[in-house]
Amino acid sequence: MLNSFQNITVTYFPELVDSEFKPIEKKYLKVIISNIFVFFFIFTVGVFTVDFTQILDISSFLFYAYFSILIIFGLIFLVQFLGFTKRKYVVREKDISYKSGLLFKKTTTIPFNRIQHLEIDQGPISRFFDLAVLSVFTAGNSSDDLKIRGLKQEDAAKIKEFISSQIDG
Amino acid sequence: MVNSNHYSEFKTQSKKGILVIYINQIYGLLKTFWILLFLFIQKFSKFSEVSLNYIYLGIVFVLLFFLVRAFLIFKNFQFKIENNHFILKKGILKKNIIEIPFDRIQNINFKQNIIQQIINVYELNIETAGSAKAEISIKAMSLAHANDLKNAITIFDKSNQKSEVFKEEKPLLKIGLLELLKVSLTENHFKSLLLLFALLVGFYQQINQLFESSGNNELVDDFITVNTSAIQTSIIVVLIFSLLLVLVGVFSSFVRVFLTHFNLTVFIKNDTLEIDQGLTTKKSIVLKKNKVQHITISTNPIKEKLGISFITFTQAESGISKEKQKIIIKIVGCKATQITKIKNLLFPDENLDNFDNNHVDSFYKTRLYLRGFLALLLINIGFFFGFENHTIFWLNSILLPILVFLTELKFKKRTFLFSDELLQINYGTIETHQTFLPFYKIQHVSLTKTIFQERKNVSDVVFQTASGKLKIPCLKDSEALKILNFALYKIETSQQSWM
Repeated sequence: MLNSFQNITVTYFPELVDSEFKPIEKKYLKVIISNIFVFFFIFTVGVFTVDFTQILDISSFLFYAYFSILIIFGLIFLVQFLGFTKRKYVVREKDISYKSGLLFKKTTTIPFNRIQHLEIDQGPISRFFDLAVLSVFTAGNSSDDLKIRGLKQEDAAKIKEFISSQIDG
Repeated sequence: MVNSNHYSEFKTQSKKGILVIYINQIYGLLKTFWILLFLFIQKFSKFSEVSLNYIYLGIVFVLLFFLVRAFLIFKNFQFKIENNHFILKKGILKKNIIEIPFDRIQNINFKQNIIQQIINVYELNIETAGSAKAEISIKAMSLAHANDLKNAITIFDKSNQKSEVFKEEKPLLKIGLLELLKVSLTENHFKSLLLLFALLVGFYQQINQLFESSGNNELVDDFITVNTSAIQTSIIVVLIFSLLLVLVGVFSSFVRVFLTHFNLTVFIKNDTLEIDQGLTTKKSIVLKKNKVQHITISTNPIKEKLGISFITFTQAESGISKEKQKIIIKIVGCKATQITKIKNLLFPDENLDNFDNNHVDSFYKTRLYLRGFLALLLINIGFFFGFENHTIFWLNSILLPILVFLTELKFKKRTFLFSDELLQINYGTIETHQTFLPFYKIQHVSLTKTIFQERKNVSDVVFQTASGKLKIPCLKDSEALKILNFALYKIETSQQSWM
């Protein structure tokens, strides 16, 4: 009987090594924090308006409402802050990889020859910081494809250019 | 054989198509407004003569309107073949032109529902990977014409068009009545029951809406509450009820299998599999070898005794469609020799029989147990709040051994093996599934791990294909990385196109 792992006849193939991964732009943390604060602000204002205009009588558990908002956003902030350093990517000769996640770690690799199309997006806050999102799509259910947020606009463009040339070549 | 030049100019389908379109429309109308019809019959005596006349007039008008519409749809539905493209013109007011290059066509299927069977025409569906539903559906063609069109389209696609000469081969597989009976009796009746249940729930909601609008919903609700309280109190009722459920389950799988797989015949022609089946709706599917993404061979203990299993084929699906409505192609009642033949067709020269099974890490078992106990805990909390009588907790003495048994079985069956080209993943609890995936069909690969898995140094490997993802859970990090790197190497060096 053969063992699948020992049967691998290819003697050398490139390995995905942790140390090759590059972190995304530090500036992106500011974008994340601003996004969190925008939501935090909207929620707090929402609760405040409801209380102030007396649409619903929530005065009895107002304290708990504010408190839970604070706790939830504190947790989100903590997870995002700690998870930020885990967001890393690497572009190799024939594929692109991205890893992220604090509690649920995920590393995804897409070979160039399976890419259907590429996209670069910029949100309003990201534009202010000159950052962009690079999305890579493959065939099939696209929800699990690769999305790298927090790249410098010019870096994203460069990667896109490189991948396009590799696919055509 | 008629020359494909016949399709160089725009043509309409067979004139019988008007009838097919018309009946389809009426059927769709009835499906949406059957409640209205129901109310009409119920209140029939309450209508005055005059209003009845108006209603009849209205119905006649609607029927006529749809007849004219069917005719116009038919008249404006024209297709031709040009430059290796299939071109379709359709639409009465909003004109629509669809062009499909031949190499994008995934498969061409023939279909016959009851009406089409009676007037002896075939529905021809052309599917591409781009959409979940058939992109082009020609409602009525005579068999000769449909075959011509199919050949005209496929012939450009094949380099080996000379061997396309039709010789009536012996079918690879033909399922007779007795075998179909065997298949249906050994189906997963629980699943059939769930399917039936889902159907009934949808039906119940419609009925409920009806009664709600006419103001006597207590009737239905009373009926149901009376019955549920009876169930809670009496064990005998529960027993009879479950026996009934089993019977209904068996019966519904019986009906399901006979409706879809009646007269199942499979041919192997060159690089394609041709599958014909169906009772009320006959379907003929032509499956191109290189469009198949992965296959799963499944069996259960009883089927295994009888030596039969079923094969499920998956093809590339669209990324746009949100609904999980995958077109699943299934061949039931396969014997071992037929499975070998199909495997040889799809993965020539690949033999995994000499390989050892690789087991996943024992953390997988721990995870399964944790999830099982969590579910058990939730059930017990439900018992605690739902029942006055605490003898119900004795049910745990049955549930616990079942949980242990199923978990052990599930862990034991979770294995995988791979050769240079082909990956095989085995899984299942009561049923046994074997999924075969050639490395070059993989779209991308992911490693995922939770913090618990990180402490044990194991990860899940997820292979994303054009037809969904396959997962090997809880592999040791070293093995996971090795299989990841190897798969990537295989994809990146492969010259074969995945579709």
